[in-house]
Amino acid sequence: MSDDHARSAAERELAIDGTMVAAMCQSFIAAHVSSTGAERVVLGLSGGIDSALVAYLTAAAIGADRLIAVLMPTASSSPSAKRDAETVIGELGCQSELIPIEAPLAALLGTLPEAASVTPIRRGNMAARLRMTTLYDRSAAHRGVVIGTGNKSEILIGYSTIYGDAASAFNPIGDLYKTQIRALAGHIGVPRQIIEKAPSADLWPGQTDEGEGGFDYPTLDRVLYRIVDRRMPIDDVIAEGFERALVERIADMVRRSEFKRQMPPIAKVGGRSSGSDYLYPRRRPNSD
Amino acid sequence: MRRRVLALAQIAPVLGDLRRNFDIHGHQLAEARAAGADLVIFPELGLTGYQLQDLAPEVAMRRTDARLHALAKQTIGGPSAIVSFVEASDDHRLFAAAAVLEDGEVRHVARKSYLPTYGLFDERRFLAPGDAIRSTRAVLGGPQVTGEVGLGIGICEDFWHPSLPAILAQDGAELLVNVAAGPARGASLDVDQGLGSAASWGMLLRATASLTTSYVAFTNRVGVDESLIFWGGSRVIGPDGVVLCEAPLFEEALLLAEIDLDEVGRARTALPLLRDERLELTRREYGRLIAARAELPEDGAT
Repeated sequence: MSDDHARSAAERELAIDGTMVAAMCQSFIAAHVSSTGAERVVLGLSGGIDSALVAYLTAAAIGADRLIAVLMPTASSSPSAKRDAETVIGELGCQSELIPIEAPLAALLGTLPEAASVTPIRRGNMAARLRMTTLYDRSAAHRGVVIGTGNKSEILIGYSTIYGDAASAFNPIGDLYKTQIRALAGHIGVPRQIIEKAPSADLWPGQTDEGEGGFDYPTLDRVLYRIVDRRMPIDDVIAEGFERALVERIADMVRRSEFKRQMPPIAKVGGRSSGSDYLYPRRRPNSD
Repeated sequence: MRRRVLALAQIAPVLGDLRRNFDIHGHQLAEARAAGADLVIFPELGLTGYQLQDLAPEVAMRRTDARLHALAKQTIGGPSAIVSFVEASDDHRLFAAAAVLEDGEVRHVARKSYLPTYGLFDERRFLAPGDAIRSTRAVLGGPQVTGEVGLGIGICEDFWHPSLPAILAQDGAELLVNVAAGPARGASLDVDQGLGSAASWGMLLRATASLTTSYVAFTNRVGVDESLIFWGGSRVIGPDGVVLCEAPLFEEALLLAEIDLDEVGRARTALPLLRDERLELTRREYGRLIAARAELPEDGAT
């Protein structure tokens, strides 16, 4: 199955009304900003499509003057990603901060016992968690709240760093597949070059999600849509013509990453316990 | 002609914030009065918010609650109102309830009979289901209107069990009201209005109006509780199944619709489905199934 074919099939199957879904995401953002009492939204802007889309949605929801985009490059971050992030900031007219994290990352890695043998994955995870640390500090400094930018495809296969890029106060795009992210980004005017470039976690130079994962997003999305949304057994997915090895690998990635989609379990000892039988909305009003 | 102007208050309640929500109800009631409405219909749990979880007992109200009666006082001189809240009963159960406020009083309370507890819903964990399906007669309006209207109220999921609106219609309802807190899901260009929940509700509401030859007024909320985004799309449907008017998706609105209850009689003459319904046949067959499921001998006496 050619990439073009997979892409058009995914776009057809996962087609959404861009105007309506943008309105949904924007009302979600506005409601959560309002309920937290935050004055601003703090966003880690990588130059990729997900964070660019969230920047546009947030600006539309609460005004660009209440959005602070934070750029946190490392030495391995590509210059084009930074340029794309700056384009978003220029287009929206939001505030921004450039906080390079290479020095703290190198310092922290250098203090580890096996500093010399840290793998690129571990380095990437640590960078993601330093960005999280930075964003939460910036949100405290600005009376803001950290907005999430993970999409449904990467959340489902666990292609994220737990307590790193996966950490946020709320996420407006986490139920949209990458295919739908692309459609929505096009609909609300995210710059073309950001939509069309190969998605990358920017963990090392030249890295792409699809190269590292061994899949293309349109096919991944079609398989996930069948397994998750339509609850199909994987044999039925394969019977539709998807390659068995790929379907099994995707199903396995989903299975192995359940823990990333949940709060950690708390050992239940007492009578009423957080997470099991003490269940409140995230924000409790003061009124009677 | 028995005309009534309905006002469907498609509001965004604030989760758990009763003071704010009572304010919203009061303002909407005043606005509807200024617009000439006879009945204002608010959405499911509009006074409390929907995704309450363990807040439910903390925001629950008795039918005698002073705040509810203060709101009811605003219906003196019209319009009447249907408002929804968590009701605490004398035996300390909690219900999703909707009350008719009319001429300064709390006149009738309907309790949600079907509590969805699947998928994204977890209502049965926190609430008890109602055990009665009753229509009522109400003036629906101030001194300017005459006569009464047969009114049946269902709460959201209730209408997905077609026996419920069918019983309400057999029990005298000419106007079926559904108050809802329907979360959006299934965004897809393959379905009507680009939204699975809007498409399936649209079909259900038209079918319900057609099958009961009754007016159907559906008030669904908007706004956000936690992960849920409520889709609105409140609407009024005639006894012939035709949509008379419809509010936008996801936006607050006060939708006004004039209906003539005499249309119900004409519709039922033309299409006497309710007259021809065979209650004894339904009861007999359900009786057989109930006995069989419990592995009991069929009781011919019931």
